[in-house]
Amino acid sequence: MNYRTAPVEIRERLAFAEHSIPHHLKEILDLVHVSEAVVLSTCNRVEIYGCAEEISQAVEELTDYLVSHFEMERGEVDFYHHESEEAAHHLFEVASGLDSMVLGETEIFGQIKKAYALAQSNGATARRLNKLFQQSFSIGKLVRTSTRIQQGSTSVGSAAVDLAERIFGDLSECRVMVIGAGEMSRTTAQSLLSRGAHSIIVSNRNFAKAEELAADLKGRAVRFDDWENCLDEVDIIVSSTSAPHAVVKKETIERVMSKRRGHTLYLIDIAVPRDIEPEVNEIENVYLSNIDQLLQIAKDGQDRRHRQIEVCRGVIAEFLSEKGIEALAEIPERQRTKGGDDTLSDSSVNPVTHS
Amino acid sequence: MNEQNLIIATAIFLGGFILAVVALRTDKGPPAGLNIVIAVVGLVFQSLFLRERGDLHGRCPITNGAEVLVFVSWSIVIMYLALGKAFRLSLLGVFTMPIVFVFHVIAIIHLSVADPGARPPNVLDPWLEMHAAMSLLAYGAFGLCCVAGAMYWVQDRQLKAHHTGPLFYSMPPIKYLIDAMIRLLSIGMLLLTLGIIAAFFMRELPGALHFAISGAVWVLYAVLLAIYFTKRPSPKRFSLLVIGAFCFALLTLAAL
Repeated sequence: MNYRTAPVEIRERLAFAEHSIPHHLKEILDLVHVSEAVVLSTCNRVEIYGCAEEISQAVEELTDYLVSHFEMERGEVDFYHHESEEAAHHLFEVASGLDSMVLGETEIFGQIKKAYALAQSNGATARRLNKLFQQSFSIGKLVRTSTRIQQGSTSVGSAAVDLAERIFGDLSECRVMVIGAGEMSRTTAQSLLSRGAHSIIVSNRNFAKAEELAADLKGRAVRFDDWENCLDEVDIIVSSTSAPHAVVKKETIERVMSKRRGHTLYLIDIAVPRDIEPEVNEIENVYLSNIDQLLQIAKDGQDRRHRQIEVCRGVIAEFLSEKGIEALAEIPERQRTKGGDDTLSDSSVNPVTHS
Repeated sequence: MNEQNLIIATAIFLGGFILAVVALRTDKGPPAGLNIVIAVVGLVFQSLFLRERGDLHGRCPITNGAEVLVFVSWSIVIMYLALGKAFRLSLLGVFTMPIVFVFHVIAIIHLSVADPGARPPNVLDPWLEMHAAMSLLAYGAFGLCCVAGAMYWVQDRQLKAHHTGPLFYSMPPIKYLIDAMIRLLSIGMLLLTLGIIAAFFMRELPGALHFAISGAVWVLYAVLLAIYFTKRPSPKRFSLLVIGAFCFALLTLAAL
């Protein structure tokens, strides 16, 4: 099941704790009809990839296993399953980020790699799933490098960070000031920190809240009547106060820019009503984004990524037309005489996804 | 004289520019490394043309305005290939192609209307060759600096207006463009200084006008660098200055 078929209440009940996955893999492989298995458990999906001779029986066994293990009623969860080529295509799309809540996100690629490595190290994979997952990694990389599925921002935070990177490039030398200690400030500052920004300065009318947020972000707090004195120390300002009037004025920024010796300043205004006078954007070497502009960029980014789905599917189809699905290819006769999974009949051993 | 190689190079740079623009407008984007391949192929044909002209004259092919323009274009492409990747500015190639195309077209027209033909030297002077080569390579660096300045203007405009189309995401960060402008100016100044020093060792010293113009270009770029390091003007103004300076430098080439 995934975020499309199950609400978060169900997903959190079915999530496999990472430390317990080796144990689950062993139990799954003990099922009569499942010969290989990989468990992929993330916050947005729980999927089990397996190999089986009798697919319908394997699916029944896996469903029973999940229902009994997680103490659920049959029918309580809308499980889906794919077989053979369909299962392989599903994994390829998941690895490419086409099945993700945020299209094209990269986290899933690492999560699949981790799930596969865990299964492999516990002896739960053999020829079929090894080939299937290796091929999914090649496809996932190819899709991301040859299309624009990752391009563009999909949230206000990522839009602000993307714009900052279009201005400064590497954010590791950027210093950030946060005015207002609300949730939006925290999220945006965390997005900037995750891309390398440092030296966070937090200012808020309630100084205790500023100190709290500064401690969380490993920055320092300054009193609200003192933030203007810190302006020439920073490259990015995130403002999100609940003030009914503009907090950052054009003349303040003009005064600061004259002392900054050509250093660029980027201001992110995520407050409603706006905290920063829009005229600030007229100052040379100063860039200003407000919440509507960031929302529009995020929407454009989502639309752009949706338009890329067919391009990505084309890339996958082209790849497969050249190489085929290796996991479904016939095993050479000489390899069949070896032990393990390879001794099974090819025509009947197929990858299956169950979740 | 046959300008076939120059015409092919011109077509390659025009085709490369059109391909890049079309690719930027599609959802798939330009193939990785396309600009480099186009620049290398174009450079080969530019080099073949310059070699033919060099063989014709028996010296560095900068005996008329058309050859000088092609030599400057060749220097710009060389600078892009040498430094574009290092400065993380692969899109610089796309912006370079139209300039190179225009220079080539002017050169082709010039040569087809009034090709002065072979102009062998009275005496071969290696210091003269060094002076010419260094000076024109410096013009290549200044030309590429001008391209970086134009790119800064485009990206600044897109950032101010929040125009976040495919071009926006393909452009380098503006900080890299500012850094590239300064580095290219510095490289150009170094090359031009070497070129001017070489002139003092020439068997026959250049005329007063030649010295005055070369000196004026050197002083102009030295002042630009000094302004940057002392006054730190806004990058937008600075990019305008480097664009203007290159236009002036080109005009001085016409006078020479």
